[in-house]
Amino acid sequence: MSKISVSGLRKSFGSNEVLKGLDVEITEGEVVCVIGPSGSGKSTFLRCLNKLDELSAGTVIVDGFNLSDKTVDLNEVRQHIGMVFQHFNLFPHMTVLQNIMLAPTELKKESKADARATALKLLDRVGLSDKADARPAQLSGGQKQRVAIARSLAVNPDIMLFDEATSALDPEMVGEVLQVIRDLAAEGMTMVVVTHEMGFAREVADRVIFMADGVIVEEGTPAELFGNPQQERTQDFLSKVL
Amino acid sequence: MFRAGKLSVAVMALLALGGGFLGVSAAAASQPLAQPHAAVTGENYVIGTDTTFAPFEYREDGELTGIDMDLIRDIAANQGFTVEIKSLGFDAALQALQSNQVDGVIAGMSITDERELIFDFSDPYFDSGVQMAVAEDNTEITGYADLVGETVVAKRGSEGETFANSIKDEYGFTVKALADSATMYDDVKAGNSVAVFDDYPVLAYGINQNNGLKSVTEKEQGSSYGFAVNKGQNPELLAAFNTGLAELKDNGEYQTILDTYLEQPAPAMASGFFGLLSDSMPALMKGLGLTLLATGLSILIALVLGVLFGFFKVSESRVLRGIASVYVSIFRGTPLLVQAFFFYFGLPQLTGQSIDVLTAGVLTLSLNAGAYMTEIVRGGIQSVDPGQTEAGRSLGLGYVTTMRRVVLPQAVKIMTPSFINQFVMTLKDTSLLAVIGFAELTYQGQQIYAANFRTGETLLIVAALYFIVINLLTMLSNKLDKRFNK
Repeated sequence: MSKISVSGLRKSFGSNEVLKGLDVEITEGEVVCVIGPSGSGKSTFLRCLNKLDELSAGTVIVDGFNLSDKTVDLNEVRQHIGMVFQHFNLFPHMTVLQNIMLAPTELKKESKADARATALKLLDRVGLSDKADARPAQLSGGQKQRVAIARSLAVNPDIMLFDEATSALDPEMVGEVLQVIRDLAAEGMTMVVVTHEMGFAREVADRVIFMADGVIVEEGTPAELFGNPQQERTQDFLSKVL
Repeated sequence: MFRAGKLSVAVMALLALGGGFLGVSAAAASQPLAQPHAAVTGENYVIGTDTTFAPFEYREDGELTGIDMDLIRDIAANQGFTVEIKSLGFDAALQALQSNQVDGVIAGMSITDERELIFDFSDPYFDSGVQMAVAEDNTEITGYADLVGETVVAKRGSEGETFANSIKDEYGFTVKALADSATMYDDVKAGNSVAVFDDYPVLAYGINQNNGLKSVTEKEQGSSYGFAVNKGQNPELLAAFNTGLAELKDNGEYQTILDTYLEQPAPAMASGFFGLLSDSMPALMKGLGLTLLATGLSILIALVLGVLFGFFKVSESRVLRGIASVYVSIFRGTPLLVQAFFFYFGLPQLTGQSIDVLTAGVLTLSLNAGAYMTEIVRGGIQSVDPGQTEAGRSLGLGYVTTMRRVVLPQAVKIMTPSFINQFVMTLKDTSLLAVIGFAELTYQGQQIYAANFRTGETLLIVAALYFIVINLLTMLSNKLDKRFNK
């Protein structure tokens, strides 16, 4: 069964149409990497999946929730979808532990003590147990992004969205973040990963989607898309980045 | 004394505008506030007067005294009623009378045809006249003929100004207008003007208080002063004033009062700066207390308004954003002084509900500061990275929770220095409330130098008090800011 089902998705900002009719089905446990030149609409597509951006037309059904339905409780939906941002967006006025505990405690999912135990477990999982009481400002970029991933996982999502999670990082820190994402993939998390890391996409993705100018130009397994791209635009793009 | 009350005209124009804007009928505006009294006996009347117009009204050791004060109190005692004196300032007193906030005005006011259109006057109780004075050490100016090519000073809209203007071409001098006697005398002493034309009793009193001037001409024939009530209001009070005045003239009390202030004024004690400091401190401290009270109340209300309208401004509702924008543009787009006049004089005329000066002052300051606070709150919220809200919302937190836990803690930190700044601004803005007769620090200072003519020293003390209080509060605020916004 589809975990994410997108059909006819359109999105405009004013008169500028950024998404021009997307159709995507993503099944449970699938890891989908979205690649393409900047301005192609990758990030907007991702932000439509948890409705950080309003949909202009089409339907998006995530984990059984129809996002086009005005009555659907977005706060409920978003607890099923974790999101990791390019610029981390950690809360600077809280410690690492408080960042992770905020949502579970505010949403009354867990008692404070339980949330703390969960948060420590998640920190251990991303290899930052010793940073529990640090402030975001004291962390490196790679550490910040790992905390951000732990924070998203704290509400126990079924789906994870990664919006260029390594683009703002120094090269030597990319690896540690990709390792965490790789581990999540291995555990069977459904994931949509917008990335510029072609090697990573080739290694981890079950399927790769190539987007340009607001449409899906081509999609397939990494072997198909990277090994034998059918469309000229895909070939053109790949020849530049590989 | 003849004062045209340009201010009154401006305020009336504003009211007319406001009335049209609010759709309030003229009938509502002219409704009487004061209850009619059949007879004066046992009644209490509220009487408006000038802040300081020595020797007619001024403060001595914090108590209002002077010819007008003695006269109205003695007449009240004679006729069996009581009075509550409100020291508002001349223009303000006339405004208050028109809006029926006071029952009568006694303020060394000349009876003129223009004023008789809107007020009913008593029998004249004093005949005034203009006199010219120069600096004590000036031996060159002994008459109008010596004024050729010079500049003289007179009180704006006063009989002195009218007289000076009537002879300036004949004698070839220039007339400059200032707002009150104390500053005019300082102008002459400083040599900016060679002579001053002022009402003779005022001048005589000032000279006797060692204001550094001497009179060099005889007084010109002038107008008469009268006690006024609003047109058609309180006729029994007016009648009682006339009866009482006649009786005081008959029994000699009237002459005694005049002599007290004009014939044998007590020579002023020439005390040093520290004498002035200790003499003025009780009144100034009382003023400072009111300044702080008005500031505190206004800032608290402004904070509430600022947070409310600030959230309106960042809300997704176009209606709420519109309401906040209108509020901000009205109160940021009009002068604080006009707002103060409007709330104190205009609102009572429009609503028929009188308002006390503290309420009007706090209303003005809080609505004004609230507009600036709104912009501070809006700016603070908007300066927090939108990614913070997105992160909060993507975790499934609602708008309110995201605001409360994520955005506001960061916004408050950004806003705090602006809040402290606004707090200081509002504290200083309280000094503008002196114009509606709110007895805060600046008002108390004006009262003191209007009676003792030591303008420079008094203002120095007033400024020092503001400086000390503002800097202490700023230091305290910064300390709290550092402590809570690490």
